[in-house]
Amino acid sequence: MDVFLQTLVAGLLKGGLYALIGIGMTLIMGVMGIINLAHGQLMMLAMYITFVLNTMGVDPYVSLLVAMPLLFLLGVTIQKFLLNPLIKVETILPENQVLMTVGIGMAMTEIARFTFTSDYKYVTTEYANRTFSLGNVSFSVALTIAFGIALVFTAAMFWFLLKTDLGRSIRATAQDKDAATLMGVNTARITVITFGIGAALVAAAGCLLAPVYYIFPDIGGPFTAKAFIITILGGLGSTVGAIFGGVTLGLAESLGATYFGMEFEDIVGLTIFILVLLFLPGGFKRLTKV
Amino acid sequence: MKIGKCLVLAAALSLIVAGGASAAEKIKVGVLLPLTGSQAKFGEIEKRSYEMAVEEINGKGGVNGAMIELIFEDDTGKPDVGRSGVEKLISRDKVPVLTGGYSSSVTAAATPVAQQFKVPFVICTGSADDITEKGYEYVFRVNPPASEYPAAVESFLKEVAKDVKSVALLYENSAFGQSSSKSFEADAKAAGLNILVKEGYQAGAIDFKPILTKVKAANPDMIYMVSYVMDASLLMRQSKELGINPKMFVGGGAGFTLPEFAKSAGSAADYVYSATLWVETLPFPGAKEYFNKFMKKYGSETEYHGAEAYATMYVVADALKRAKGSPNVTPQAVRDALTTTDMMTAFGPVKFVSYGKKTQQNKLDTYLVQWQKGELEAVWPTKVATKKYIYPTPPWSSRK
Repeated sequence: MDVFLQTLVAGLLKGGLYALIGIGMTLIMGVMGIINLAHGQLMMLAMYITFVLNTMGVDPYVSLLVAMPLLFLLGVTIQKFLLNPLIKVETILPENQVLMTVGIGMAMTEIARFTFTSDYKYVTTEYANRTFSLGNVSFSVALTIAFGIALVFTAAMFWFLLKTDLGRSIRATAQDKDAATLMGVNTARITVITFGIGAALVAAAGCLLAPVYYIFPDIGGPFTAKAFIITILGGLGSTVGAIFGGVTLGLAESLGATYFGMEFEDIVGLTIFILVLLFLPGGFKRLTKV
Repeated sequence: MKIGKCLVLAAALSLIVAGGASAAEKIKVGVLLPLTGSQAKFGEIEKRSYEMAVEEINGKGGVNGAMIELIFEDDTGKPDVGRSGVEKLISRDKVPVLTGGYSSSVTAAATPVAQQFKVPFVICTGSADDITEKGYEYVFRVNPPASEYPAAVESFLKEVAKDVKSVALLYENSAFGQSSSKSFEADAKAAGLNILVKEGYQAGAIDFKPILTKVKAANPDMIYMVSYVMDASLLMRQSKELGINPKMFVGGGAGFTLPEFAKSAGSAADYVYSATLWVETLPFPGAKEYFNKFMKKYGSETEYHGAEAYATMYVVADALKRAKGSPNVTPQAVRDALTTTDMMTAFGPVKFVSYGKKTQQNKLDTYLVQWQKGELEAVWPTKVATKKYIYPTPPWSSRK
């Protein structure tokens, strides 16, 4: 029973972080209809920002305040100057923007390698190895804090999308870009802001992950893949879906690792991915209708 | 008249010889390493060590007057890229000898190409057992096979840690990890140890708690882990979080000996044992010098992979020197010279022998090291020990 509870807790805590990574991607996908394949790489950049600040003695949680705005600006720049111009270019490939994100991701990885070399970096904090336990189940302090902050961010995101003008415009653009334009929504501006928000959210995930994981230039790839799976699980463009998708993936990975073997961790996630595509093509969005 | 003829002939001959030497002012050596990608860190240490060795060799007059020129190919850690890298080195650069080879999977994919084109490949690291079990005549390996890494651990268990009766075995799911864990499992069974948990994991995992929870529930006397550096440090950090207290934590080579492991794992690294192939304190001529020179030149520490690359370059240079027709060597001549290699290097004695299923494999001792107060100390066998081993490992709760 202890083993089961510990697995559940570990999966849930990891899932919270995954949700935060997924929300950013699903937002971008929903509004612009493109898969941002540089998503994990944006997170990598945020982790390096956290690392640099940490060498100056700044706590990873404080560096949230720096990394998020910086990544927001970077996201805005990418969308405005690299992705939006591609809409106007006539080519045989409609996926130009997606391909562009792949290129951006690669460039970011190599810039990171050039700047920081491929050495592993890590953020040292005194609470990184701390735990507290309830009964026989131990909770990692850093992951629990990360889970809490992730919850706050997703709740705030939710409120923002439902209650604010800007949020409504984003949702309108996601639903029907042409109709939104006709209703007076500046969709070009909305896409730019959305990419910024997506980048800022994944930056938050990067800062929260930094105390428990390590940083190297190639870290982005696997997380882009995870974000992609979460987005498909949750249903394209659905914030609530992304939360469920993230937690499901975290739990599935942990349970799979305990009861099948940890070497199958990725297989478990990808199997769910295929099953969802086959039997629930809309993802969890179909079930929640939000 | 006759003497005059002889002189002319001698002059002509010497001209030809001199002409030959100037044509071969450079000997190209192809090196396959992961210079980008997730294994680039080790590729970099090895590349620097190769370059340092070549600098020294060329500084002392090169190979019979010819300078060695290294041509690096980046395998990016991917077998297919490694394969085409070797093809390029052989067909376009026409190198007479290949070396390098970091990850087992890349090395396994690249060696058949060398065999096919009959160009000798002196493997530096790639350690999965079967690479030298295919009877390739053109493949040599300096690194001991992965299955022999635990030898020092086994003798330690036999002579010191006699009360270790049960083991948990964790390994990364790669060619290297599987190869090492399989042989360790076989040896452990033969030694009468009880294997309570045997779990593979995907390298680069964030959370090892699922398997560590299982390990904790099984409560083994010893935990044996085959992991690269960051997985190693996360495994130890999370073992501390969960409060797992075996008598011994043992790393099976790879990541547990790197300075990054101790820095990233912090106090959780203390008392961890690791099997290793080399430490700078070993009594081999040039071992400590190599370590110091590397430190001075690059400002960062090196470890066994680097020492291995450094020694391998000397082995290659030695073969090039002895090869028939040197410095105008053919791949065949270098291969023949390698079969008779018998030399001492900073990494230990190198001689390519055949035993069991293996051919042209270097046989080396392995050693046991232990982290004590943030320093990596050689502890076993006692003849090379720098500090006495601390056994059993104190429980987490009694540590400061």
